[in-house]
Amino acid sequence: MALLVALGPMDASRAAINSVNAATPGQSRTDGPSEQRLLEVFGLMARGQSREALEKAGKLVADRPNFQLAQLVYGDLLAARMRPLQSVGDMPADMARAGAAPLADLREEAHQRLANLKEKPPEGYVPSQFLKMAPQTRSAMAVDASRSRLYFFENTGSGMQLKADYYVSVGKAGTSKSQEGDQRTPLGVYFVSSHLDRKTLTDFYGIGALTLNYPNMLDVRRGKSGSGIWLHGTPSTQFSRAPRSTDGCLVLSNPDIRVLIDNISLRNTPIVVASQLVWKSPKQLEEPAAAFAESLESWRQAKVSGDLKKTLSYYTPDFSSYGKTLDQFKPLLKAEMKALKGRNLELKDLSYFQWSDTAETMVVSFGEVMAGKRTGIHKRQYWVRSSKEWKIFFEGVH
Amino acid sequence: MIRPRLRLAHYLLPHLILVALAGSVRADEYSEVTQLSRDGKFVEALAKADVFLSSKPRDAQMRLLKGLVQRDAGKGAEAISTFSRMTEDFPELPEPFVNLGVIYADQNQLDKARNAFEMALRTNPSYSAAHENLADVYGRLSGAAYNKALQLDVSNLAVVPKLALVRQINTLNPTKLTPAQLASLAKATPAPVQIPPAAPSAAVVAQAKPVPISEPAARPGREAPAPAQTQGVDTASAREVEQSVQAWAAAWSAKDMRAYFAAYSRDFDPAGKHSRSEWEEERRSRIEGKASISVKLSEMQAHVRGNNAVARFRQDYRANGISISSRKTLELVRQGDNWKIVREAVGG
Repeated sequence: MALLVALGPMDASRAAINSVNAATPGQSRTDGPSEQRLLEVFGLMARGQSREALEKAGKLVADRPNFQLAQLVYGDLLAARMRPLQSVGDMPADMARAGAAPLADLREEAHQRLANLKEKPPEGYVPSQFLKMAPQTRSAMAVDASRSRLYFFENTGSGMQLKADYYVSVGKAGTSKSQEGDQRTPLGVYFVSSHLDRKTLTDFYGIGALTLNYPNMLDVRRGKSGSGIWLHGTPSTQFSRAPRSTDGCLVLSNPDIRVLIDNISLRNTPIVVASQLVWKSPKQLEEPAAAFAESLESWRQAKVSGDLKKTLSYYTPDFSSYGKTLDQFKPLLKAEMKALKGRNLELKDLSYFQWSDTAETMVVSFGEVMAGKRTGIHKRQYWVRSSKEWKIFFEGVH
Repeated sequence: MIRPRLRLAHYLLPHLILVALAGSVRADEYSEVTQLSRDGKFVEALAKADVFLSSKPRDAQMRLLKGLVQRDAGKGAEAISTFSRMTEDFPELPEPFVNLGVIYADQNQLDKARNAFEMALRTNPSYSAAHENLADVYGRLSGAAYNKALQLDVSNLAVVPKLALVRQINTLNPTKLTPAQLASLAKATPAPVQIPPAAPSAAVVAQAKPVPISEPAARPGREAPAPAQTQGVDTASAREVEQSVQAWAAAWSAKDMRAYFAAYSRDFDPAGKHSRSEWEEERRSRIEGKASISVKLSEMQAHVRGNNAVARFRQDYRANGISISSRKTLELVRQGDNWKIVREAVGG
């Protein structure tokens, strides 16, 4: 019931609505229209316009009968014609008992959707993980599990721009996936690896799915297990799912996953999944980005110089590349350096994302192109900081 | 405090006489149609109603009865058309809207039912049949939405309450009074007035009296100054009256039908309903159909004059998740050691 207190009698939502109105005057929201319509209903309720709220809620449930939260609010508004409302889902006690679990879920969903109104990320800010984004990376996503929110960015000429944010459900047991079947959503920097068409899926996954590269190389290094972490839609019976209800996947409403499917690029669009996002201005990120760029540049120069020993000093002793140890990787590195024949090496389409938990790591992507060549190989590296030095613990073609 | 009702009664008197005189013939025809319908002779009942209406096409009471017969005969669509046309011909009457709403609710067209009851309340904001029916419809609609929200089995739905049809046109529709009329009435009515006998004995009046004396919704600013109440107030009896009213509310809450009906006098006038037995049947289905009921009274004011009493209070009614807070007025008469209800009205 702590939730109820938090959401409370409609006052909490009033504060939320007022703040969004103040924050985005006249600005059109790009959220899923169904959510926007629901929030409009909450706004009308908060302003005491319950008749208008009832009318709008009635239209919303007529359009989206499977939007359970909207049904709940509609039920409230009908009941409110006859008695004052105490909370979201203020239904007769016997009904509340019979549906205790779904009711708690819907209240949590209402809370999460409303809370999102209260605090929007500051204009122009980005998640602290987004240190450098190649211009070729057209889009990026970030999930704040604590807020049940997925943020969708476009990489424009003037940097990363938040285009939309969506309600998203995570694992029943929360986040920090570590092993198969733990019903948790993994935390880290991932990339969308493939799109699964609805024709190949059951109704459970909705209109389609995007798969993530879980476990990534940091997860592998940490011995994490499990697989099949997807972004996917909802079954036809359900517009959205409870905030914590999946087996580890990230689940969005079908209209929302549709937008993502249409706007990401496979193997390229990153998705940062954090328990709580920290938002930074691009300026605040300049310094950590430059600090890492220095280490990366040193490694590049060592590789160009042809000094194998020095180059190897940038790799951790427990380095691994798709099962190869550092000793087994050494001949490959040597061959690459030999092929350079003193020519320069360019790192094109460079992106890197910082991930800090118990360790500070960096997920780096670039095209390694020899001077005078048009093309090179797409590489991904995982770096870890031990004391002051950044070192590579994974390198591979992707 | 008893002033508003008296004011209305005063105004009503000429009407009652008119209805009594003109109505004595019609009343027979109304009851014949009703009786035929009750006996299941719907064809005959409708034929009789049609003959009557061919000469008096604008007789609201007969048209109401015709719609009721059609409904009882299972001709919902025809009843809807009868009541719909009535709402066009008599837009000031709440009764056709109420019955239209009940039939829509029969057909599970709850949104249409809701609109109809709201229209009834627009014509008469204190019309209790519309209030209760609307509350039930809102309850059913919200219950259905909650079921969809929680994806519960529909069988979990609370017992569907039976909605009340209106069988008689209320000859007095308070909202028909213009503010000017109300003002002149207030002026014309001398402050302390004799309480009329609560249970009228005159047969003619009883016959002609499908007249639940419901009062206009409280209109702040239009109230004449309240007459002095101190005179003749019997505080000990007032306490007895309050206790009787509380016992009535307790019996209602406990769904103790025997005690509930016992709170009413044999002379109780079921406002707007057909007969005492029909009223009892309707109350029984309404009360016993609820999972639980809570009736709490507050702001109680009881006034006693001799063997008559008026109790006014706020009634907070809660059942199956519906709650209605309303003003209510009960008129009671002393019968032996007990106070019994002779009239019940919303408002006051």
